[in-house]
Amino acid sequence: MKFNSLAFRLVAGAGLWIAAALVAGGFALSGIFEDSVERSFDARLEVYLDGLIAVSRAGAAGRLELARGLGEPRFTQPYSGWYWEIAGPHGPILRSRSLWDMVLDARPDEGGTLLIYEIDGPDENRLRVVERDVSLPNMPDRLHYIVAAEQSEIGSEVARFDKALAWALALLGGGLIAAVFIQVRFGLIPLRRMEAALAAIRAGRAERLEGSFPKEVQPLADELNALLEHNADVVERARTHVGNLAHALKTPLAVLSNESGDSTGPLADSVARQTGVMRRQVDHYLARARTAARARVLGARTYILPVVEDLQRTLERIHIDRGITIAVEGDPGIAFRGERQDLEEILGNVMDNGCKWARKRVVVKLARADQRAVVDVEDDGPGLSPEERAQVFERGKRLDEAVPGTGLGLAIVRDIAELYGGSVSLGSASLGGLRVTLVLPSVDAAAAAS
Amino acid sequence: MRILAVEDDPELARQIAEALKGAGYAVDLAHDGEQAHYLGEAEAYDAVVLDLGLPVVDGITVLERWRRAGRNMPVLILTARDRWSEKVAGFDAGADDYVTKPFQMEEVLARLRALIRRAAGHASAELECGPLRLDTRSSRVTRDGVPVKLTAQEYRLLAYLLHHRGRVVSRTELTEHLYDQDFDRDSNTIEVFIGRLRKKIGAELIQTVRGLGYQLTPPDSRAKGPEASP
Repeated sequence: MKFNSLAFRLVAGAGLWIAAALVAGGFALSGIFEDSVERSFDARLEVYLDGLIAVSRAGAAGRLELARGLGEPRFTQPYSGWYWEIAGPHGPILRSRSLWDMVLDARPDEGGTLLIYEIDGPDENRLRVVERDVSLPNMPDRLHYIVAAEQSEIGSEVARFDKALAWALALLGGGLIAAVFIQVRFGLIPLRRMEAALAAIRAGRAERLEGSFPKEVQPLADELNALLEHNADVVERARTHVGNLAHALKTPLAVLSNESGDSTGPLADSVARQTGVMRRQVDHYLARARTAARARVLGARTYILPVVEDLQRTLERIHIDRGITIAVEGDPGIAFRGERQDLEEILGNVMDNGCKWARKRVVVKLARADQRAVVDVEDDGPGLSPEERAQVFERGKRLDEAVPGTGLGLAIVRDIAELYGGSVSLGSASLGGLRVTLVLPSVDAAAAAS
Repeated sequence: MRILAVEDDPELARQIAEALKGAGYAVDLAHDGEQAHYLGEAEAYDAVVLDLGLPVVDGITVLERWRRAGRNMPVLILTARDRWSEKVAGFDAGADDYVTKPFQMEEVLARLRALIRRAAGHASAELECGPLRLDTRSSRVTRDGVPVKLTAQEYRLLAYLLHHRGRVVSRTELTEHLYDQDFDRDSNTIEVFIGRLRKKIGAELIQTVRGLGYQLTPPDSRAKGPEASP
């Protein structure tokens, strides 16, 4: 999960809140428990205190004695942590055996109310003390009855509880976070679907966002579809305008150049030259404008083989006098990720070039390599030297003025191919002539088959 | 040879018509698709130069209608539409060649010559019949290597007979293919031109087939030809 994501925000927000709530709840629970343990501890001490009062009496000669033991063995083990003492005004009279050599100091009389307080005991343990001052029959002085026990008894019980509580809360917290995580994943599924649908459009497998989305996301999907349609509209309009412009410019150019061709003199020469320049410029920039308007359009896919076969039929007729045959081989499932018209411009120019130079044969081969479509166009003509190959792509450059053409063909091919992220390279054909290799972005085979 | 030129731009139409006439063709002009369609159906043309962006009816539609109606004269498309998709559509509609604007007039004429030659079943730019030789590129005629001077009408008549040499060509067919539609078609003029042509190239090359028309045959094959008449 990336930090900058909706899922992270939702899970992190819920996590912080859950952690804070659980920690606060834990402290509250622990406090309540500690309070209740303390209360019950005090109650036990009080029970022993009452017992102590009950079994003590004035014996012979006014001496204080216990009628029987308290029945708690820890009072007899030295330093067991549980102690009692009965003190008179001049100090202790009777003490539990567990006190051994220690004395508990009584507090001043407060009129028989129960006192609860803490003091330092042996072994640096804090002792919790309950004390009540009582007057016994036949005893001259008021007596201080004291029962004490180590505070740590409470502490260890609370600690045990806290440990169990912490585990329980941690488990609960983990469970809640997991639930939030699942909920977020589930809740964001429509967004993932949209992401996949957009990827499909980019990859050329779809032209719009398909399917219905939850009502929070549907407006977004609708807007995206509207945007895609608008985009296609704009492109279509631009293409129409460009076509109109082409027609509008070319007829006057034809008139001018024909008029100048009929007459002689410096004016006619100049007009002929300039109309030639204009013609090349018009061709070049129209070709570019048509393509630039389109290369980024999403969702286009064109099967290559039918386009090659259309061109094969057409070019064989164009070059019928020279008896050129065009052989086509390749997988019909290979698709170009782009507009049909652009593919036709690329392949038309390359194949036409092959036909112009070929003696008898042109071979077109389609293949797939590394997710790209590779089209090889070979001819059995004279071919080109490496130096000539470098010149081919120069704008308006024609290697042989005798073969008709504007000299823009391969330059346009390269412009269009590069707009699509493809490439054109030249080599030697096995037939003996030129080999033009086109590498073009393709739609992957599985998607194309579906 | 009679050509139909279809072009909606008046200036360009004029230039094309002049160039075609200069090359020895009879030319009819049409300025919109409907007119073009009508002329192509009604008249006999040896070739058509067809613009695609036409008023009323589009050029492709006109071409398709002709082909459906069985009109199979060669058609050269002359258009500003230079996309390959448009070329494919043009050829699939039945075009025989395709030239994009702006163009060189010589190229159009050369392609047209090739189309007419091909339609008549000849591979070479030079047409021959015995000692007679006609170069369609230069419009020059020689007999035994000696140049023969012909008027435009005579040249047209000879070129048509040479394209269809060995076949009997009727007087009506000649009239249809040699004159544009505005010409006063008096069939007697054909006989006058045949007579003049015979004087210039040698009477033995053109035979009159009674009731049928005329036939151009080389002298040596005439002996074998059973249908030939002296």
